[in-house]
Amino acid sequence: MSPFWLSYLPLAIILSSLLPGLIIFTLKEQQVKLRIALNLLGVTVKLVLVLIMWQAVKAGAVFYFSVPFLPGAELVLQGDALSLLFVVLSSVLWLATTIYAIGYLENSPLRSRFFGYFSLCVSATVGLALSGNLVSFLLFYELLTLATFPLVVHRGTPEALAAGRRYLAYTLSGGLLLLTGVALLHSLVQSPQFIPGGYVSAVVSEHAGLLQLAFGLMIAGLGVKAALLPLHGWLPQAMVAPAPVSALLHAVAVVKAGAFGIIRLVYDVFGVDSMQQLQLAEPLMLLAATTILYGSWRALAQQDIKKRLAYSTISQVSYITVGVAMLGPLAAVGGLVHLVHQGVMKITLFFCAGNYAETLGVHKINELNGAGRRMPLTSVAFTVAALGMIGIPPTAGFISKWYLGLGAVATDNSLMLLVFVFSGLLNAAYFLPIVYRLWFLPQGGNWPKEQRLSATLETHWMLLLPMLFTAVLIILMGVFASTGVSPLSWTQLIVEREFSYD
Amino acid sequence: MVEFSSSLNLFLATAATLVAIGVYGFIVGPEPLRRIVALNIISAGIFMLMVVLAYRSAGPDAVSTLADPVLHALVLTGLVVAVSATAFALALLARLGKTTADRPEEPGP
Amino acid sequence: MMILLLVLPLAAALLMLLWPRIAPLLALFSAAVCSFLALQLLLQVSEQGTRYWLLAGWPSGLAIAWQADTLSCLLILLTAVLQLLVGFYAFATRARDKLSQGFWPLSSLLQLSLTALWLSRDLFNLYVCLELLALVAVALVSLSGRKAIKPALNYLLLSLFGSLCYLLGVVLLYGAYGRLDIAGLVSQWQPNLLTNSALLLMSLGLMLKAALWPLHGWLPAAHAAAPAPVSALLSALVVKGPLFILCLLWLQLASTEQAQAMAPLFAGAGLAALLFGGWSALRTPFAKNLVAYSTVAQLGYATLALGLMLKFDQPLIFAALWLFVLAHALAKAACFLAIGEMSGTLGGKRLTTLKGASQTMPLAMFAFAVAGGSLIGLPPSGGFLAKWALLQGLWLQEQQLFWPLALVLATLLSAAYVFRVVVLAFDRADPVAPDFSPQVLPQWLALLPALAVWAMALFSEPLLLLLRLEAL
Repeated sequence: MSPFWLSYLPLAIILSSLLPGLIIFTLKEQQVKLRIALNLLGVTVKLVLVLIMWQAVKAGAVFYFSVPFLPGAELVLQGDALSLLFVVLSSVLWLATTIYAIGYLENSPLRSRFFGYFSLCVSATVGLALSGNLVSFLLFYELLTLATFPLVVHRGTPEALAAGRRYLAYTLSGGLLLLTGVALLHSLVQSPQFIPGGYVSAVVSEHAGLLQLAFGLMIAGLGVKAALLPLHGWLPQAMVAPAPVSALLHAVAVVKAGAFGIIRLVYDVFGVDSMQQLQLAEPLMLLAATTILYGSWRALAQQDIKKRLAYSTISQVSYITVGVAMLGPLAAVGGLVHLVHQGVMKITLFFCAGNYAETLGVHKINELNGAGRRMPLTSVAFTVAALGMIGIPPTAGFISKWYLGLGAVATDNSLMLLVFVFSGLLNAAYFLPIVYRLWFLPQGGNWPKEQRLSATLETHWMLLLPMLFTAVLIILMGVFASTGVSPLSWTQLIVEREFSYD
Repeated sequence: MVEFSSSLNLFLATAATLVAIGVYGFIVGPEPLRRIVALNIISAGIFMLMVVLAYRSAGPDAVSTLADPVLHALVLTGLVVAVSATAFALALLARLGKTTADRPEEPGP
Repeated sequence: MMILLLVLPLAAALLMLLWPRIAPLLALFSAAVCSFLALQLLLQVSEQGTRYWLLAGWPSGLAIAWQADTLSCLLILLTAVLQLLVGFYAFATRARDKLSQGFWPLSSLLQLSLTALWLSRDLFNLYVCLELLALVAVALVSLSGRKAIKPALNYLLLSLFGSLCYLLGVVLLYGAYGRLDIAGLVSQWQPNLLTNSALLLMSLGLMLKAALWPLHGWLPAAHAAAPAPVSALLSALVVKGPLFILCLLWLQLASTEQAQAMAPLFAGAGLAALLFGGWSALRTPFAKNLVAYSTVAQLGYATLALGLMLKFDQPLIFAALWLFVLAHALAKAACFLAIGEMSGTLGGKRLTTLKGASQTMPLAMFAFAVAGGSLIGLPPSGGFLAKWALLQGLWLQEQQLFWPLALVLATLLSAAYVFRVVVLAFDRADPVAPDFSPQVLPQWLALLPALAVWAMALFSEPLLLLLRLEAL
């Protein structure tokens, strides 16, 4: 179908961030220009490669690259429509976050280490997106844990170390549960490639109990990163990390890795039919729904900006899980598109929070009074993203909630519909007061004087540009949702392929 | 299985006693020298057992002619090993004695 | 080729005594040649099947039996390669660490005794190898000077006691069957009181020497007291010798009933070792003791796998057992070298010395973390392969939920102690400044075995297949 080198494309996409990362580790602290050049080179190469792959996958090609690993389970990299969704998301947001991080960390120590692990983290995420079977997925899942840990503890303060310990305790236990589950499933049906419709149907009647156990173990393992209810404890604490890291953890890398894993597990390992036969979807959906409400409820009580955003993430990521677990095509579209939309919106919010903290030294919500006049661009971006999170048209958030709602109706889940409505109200309840404070209250805090970071702009241009870029994306994804290049159309393509396997 | 004459039984019992005394001494004695001696008593017991076993295939009263040469060879090897190990242990003990006077703190538990 | 593998280290050791000035070169040369030979032998054996050899042409039963199967060859290769690596490390740091000249001949003798041990299939010859191994190991520990004498003496005495227990068992078996080669004994084996007690006596001695729980008490002190390259060799290789014999005894000699009866004991001891060793590693304030306790814990995996193998007779579990051993050997060598390097440069034995080591000595810390990843069993390291094989073996048995759960718990403990060090290394509050500028080469040498254990992933499929065949 394609020239020989195309089969190496998935590998090349991973290497395009891995190799710069490894080189960056060896650089000296002062080699700023070279480091930035390497970073940007990596991002550009990756985006070009992803573009090539996107074109090909759209035309119906599937990329496949494998090396032997375990008996019955090769290491497979597979570029299909679903993996591309996640790859595009992480590559584009990597671009934004890299620029932001360069500005954010200007003149701070240990930048080589930071950007090295940053690139490794993205490589692991992209690898996870591209992995073609459960064993490869597990591998990248664990590598992601290892690559993000140094970022969480980057500041090296006691709080950062405590958060790092907690993060490890959660994620390593999760990885272990996932390993146990994958091993169990492997002993039943080996680990073939992900395939729409799943591959367990042959043994459903024979080993129902063991399959349920394996599913439970794997969901528990993935649930840690996806911050499902009893396993979310690490996320709010991990906020001590620098802003670009929080942005990446929340929007792309870690929580999405869990959510993406759940998507793969439900659609491409178990498949809709087996999920229904084994009655696994219902409990998963209820758990995720509880998480949505719990996260929103806890977010209301937070006074720290980043903490409130963290609980909001817990809630928002579970929308994806709910959409997947409803097992209907429309709900699936909603869940999948929310993977992208939530990522872009949440990263904008974290960029804004970082900007307030960097420029004004503000960490608490009640110190934000009147910040709209001092930092209009940031505040506009924040408002757009917050409205998106609530689900107000014409933002991207509206699109995903609309489809989730349609899906709930289509699958007769009136309970879920209620959950969405109630959670939307809660979202408004914890986001709108911030927006109100930004624009309508007089300045309260004691802020440093203007033009500290930039002569003409409200803050450093490298902190502004990525944020504006993602904020514009939120609007564009909402307004042009029906065109051929929107995430929505792409998820419709995925769902078409996932639901028409037989 | 293996038949022994009554006189051999006596040797067997002696060997067993030696081993038992040695094990007791090893477990009880905290001083290294005592333990080294105890180890030597155990090995004496085992070697005695080996020498006695060498006669096991011989008839009830034949004692001298038909002994198993392999076991004798093994006893010789064992003796060499035991002697060198004892020498080494004693050398270590001597060095320990020399340095206990100004020994620094113990490294860890 | 088998003879050459034995003669070369011996000749090298003797030459070193005659000509001490070129001792390091000789040691490295012999280790390098042996690695090459071992690789050749491994390839040959895996192609043409197991090779047998009776010493000096005596008839079977009288002659000392030797046997080179894939497992032995793998272990010989591991021994030679680790000798080479550790030798390079010792050579690179010899001036700084004031390593005694005695290290070189002793390390060659260590290689000799281990190679002989992996190859021989004769109970008495195994005893001689064990004894030689113990003497050399103790001598190596005592190299680090005054403070090491006491643990060394303790180690020696316990080890001698263990050897004598083993010897008594051998004598009992010889008294009953009149032979010493394992193949011959298997053909006449009957489960009765005598073989029971012989097996138990030998196991007791071997467990004491291999520091299997609950007989591990001597290990942390001895391994922590030794110089870094010696600790690496001891933890990586020496304790595996008795373990190998233990496996021979129970997997080849013992009858099914005997094996079944012993299985829960081994599995239980392994689990206890994992929990106890992990817990102690979490508590100890000293860096090297942490690594030494981790050895106790990791040996627990091997014991556990042995017990489960006896119980279920599942080739995958056998493969897991030896994968644990291989992965642990490489990872532990890297750990000890890295820790040795860091405490040498940062000046201190306590764990708190490692504060901020990710800044001051990133390479050594990275080596420790990478090796630690394998100890935890993160994919795709060697430790992961072993764990994967064990889990697969367990899941193939019906209704086995307890052991996978126990494995999860043990893994969490090992993750906890590995990251105890790593988190400390990321502490930026006030990093410990190095006493002198860190050397780069030794840090890379510490990293090499750590990378090797992750590179096991590249050979995972053939390794698993080879080891699985070996169990049948």
